[in-house]
Amino acid sequence: MKLLLIEDEQELAKSIQEYLNGNEFVCEWTNKFSTALDKISNYDYDCILLDLMLPDGNGLELLTELKKQNKTDGVIIISAKETLDSRIEGFNLGADDYLTKPFHLSELLVRIQALIRRKQFSGNNIVTFNEIEIDLQSKTVKVNHKLVEMTKKEIDLLLYLIGNHNRVLSKGAIAEHLSGDMADMLDNHDFVYAHIKNLKKKLKSANAVDYIKTVYGLGYKWQNE
Amino acid sequence: MSKKLLHKTQQIYLIFAIVIFIVIAPIFYIFSRWMYINNIDETLVDYKEDFIEKMLPKLTEENLSVWNNFNTTQQIKQYYPIKRDTIFYTTYFSEIEQELEPYRELETPIKIGENKYIFTTKISLFESEDLIISIAFLFFILITLLLIVLGIITNKISIKIWKPFYENLAQFEAFQIDNPNKLHLKQTNIEEFNRLNLSIEKLIQNNYIIYENQREFVENAAHELQTPIAVFKGKIDILMQRSDITKGQAELLESLNNSIARLNRLNKNLLMLSKIEKNTLNEITSFQIKEVIEKQLEFFKEQAIQKNIHIESHINSVINITANKGFTEILFSNLFLNAIQHNVINGNISIYIAKNKLTISNTGISATIKSESLFNRFSKISTSEKGNGLGLAIVKKIVDLNNWSISYSYKNNLHSFTITF
Repeated sequence: MKLLLIEDEQELAKSIQEYLNGNEFVCEWTNKFSTALDKISNYDYDCILLDLMLPDGNGLELLTELKKQNKTDGVIIISAKETLDSRIEGFNLGADDYLTKPFHLSELLVRIQALIRRKQFSGNNIVTFNEIEIDLQSKTVKVNHKLVEMTKKEIDLLLYLIGNHNRVLSKGAIAEHLSGDMADMLDNHDFVYAHIKNLKKKLKSANAVDYIKTVYGLGYKWQNE
Repeated sequence: MSKKLLHKTQQIYLIFAIVIFIVIAPIFYIFSRWMYINNIDETLVDYKEDFIEKMLPKLTEENLSVWNNFNTTQQIKQYYPIKRDTIFYTTYFSEIEQELEPYRELETPIKIGENKYIFTTKISLFESEDLIISIAFLFFILITLLLIVLGIITNKISIKIWKPFYENLAQFEAFQIDNPNKLHLKQTNIEEFNRLNLSIEKLIQNNYIIYENQREFVENAAHELQTPIAVFKGKIDILMQRSDITKGQAELLESLNNSIARLNRLNKNLLMLSKIEKNTLNEITSFQIKEVIEKQLEFFKEQAIQKNIHIESHINSVINITANKGFTEILFSNLFLNAIQHNVINGNISIYIAKNKLTISNTGISATIKSESLFNRFSKISTSEKGNGLGLAIVKKIVDLNNWSISYSYKNNLHSFTITF
């Protein structure tokens, strides 16, 4: 998968690249509006990560340009500016998602995956990891082709863990993912433990491999043995 | 104690009127009496001159006793040494009234033949006392009427003149710095009022600029902080993926993670405050309080489980409000979070809705909370690391924005926040 990262903050760009490059992604980076414009005209990307405030231009104009060229690249806006206006304007101009800085890299990764899934599969939308199958359409989980009862939140957590497989995820990152808009308020992430425990139990009773590992002091990890 | 302007003028007027009465009344009485006596004295002198001119030349010592018998008010007495024309007060017994009557009497030495005599003439003052009292009484009534009418007129004029002042005053009282456009000052044809309005408008304008600058500063500072926080967060995420992390390093990372999360929350809350202060009163919809609470409860019940806190709700009335739904959600989530954060293990939270009031009560640690500073920014209730001191400030801002009111109380070991819609 080819990604284009348009971000003027070099250190953040390096972190994003490092986190994404390990996966199935190849992530190109530019910090200039002009270079970005060249790149989107010449290549097709599976996903574009777009910072709105660039030193030589406004990120929103890039969206207009994409539309003009009839490009269907998925776009996730990553911006420090979070006003309703900029959000609405972004979506109106054809952005697919909006992530406000600061975010966890793991969150960015699952958003990219979700976007690519939406773009690539229309209708039949299934995520598979070894014996586990998640049907995003019907919101069901199967282990070894057998249905496992799971809540919406547990499926969400499962997708997040699988999306970030072989990555250590902090409790805070998981809490932010699970609580969405409410994330900024929480200072207690203990509820993550309860969710992880439930998920582990359900997967175990369905005879799935115990992929979820506890990493001391850091959090959890979905590990493919 | 300050008094109302109108009361003040009325009071001064009343004091002034009483003083006038006390001072003027005796002066008037004395003056009019003096005038009257003066007049009588002149008459007495006239009588005397008339006597000296017309009667005296005809009088002889022989017909003196006859003359005396025929005159009641004028008498000729035996001489005793006096100065010319002595006028004095005296009393005579009246046979008709059977009492002593006051008189004004004139004595003057005269000569009949070779012998000296004293001529006396007198005027009764009996009638005059009544007259003076009547005049004084009339005067009182006139003065009183005048003062009353004057008082009413002054009052009416004061009310009329100060009317624009009071109207503007009401506007100043309702004025909020985050909403400067609502001030429509009443222009008058009184220079001082217009000057006052002008200077207040100027003052407000200046303050608004300062306020706006400060708000923008907080907003910009918080926005600018987002990027370095994002970098920090990203670097930690990357660092955590290293396979050679020791136990000690993991603990350090966890603590860094918590700190950065706190910093992030603080920053987001500052942004939220500045957003509310910006008063984007758009996106106003009508909805039920219940609907918002139920949505929030679903999330917070999960949080409460961690402390084994029991949440119960008693919804006894339907409150429909018209407000920004997003802000209202933030209001309740802050209150719920507050109730969970400052609660004890195995505690309770209850939500009451009755009439137009909503109360959220929670058990918690003992109550030494200064309620007046409770809603200020960065005023922390406990020394625990929980909360950043902005949650309740945000609550207050949203409450103020919608013209609701919020109060805090501590009763029966329960901390309660009540919002009146």
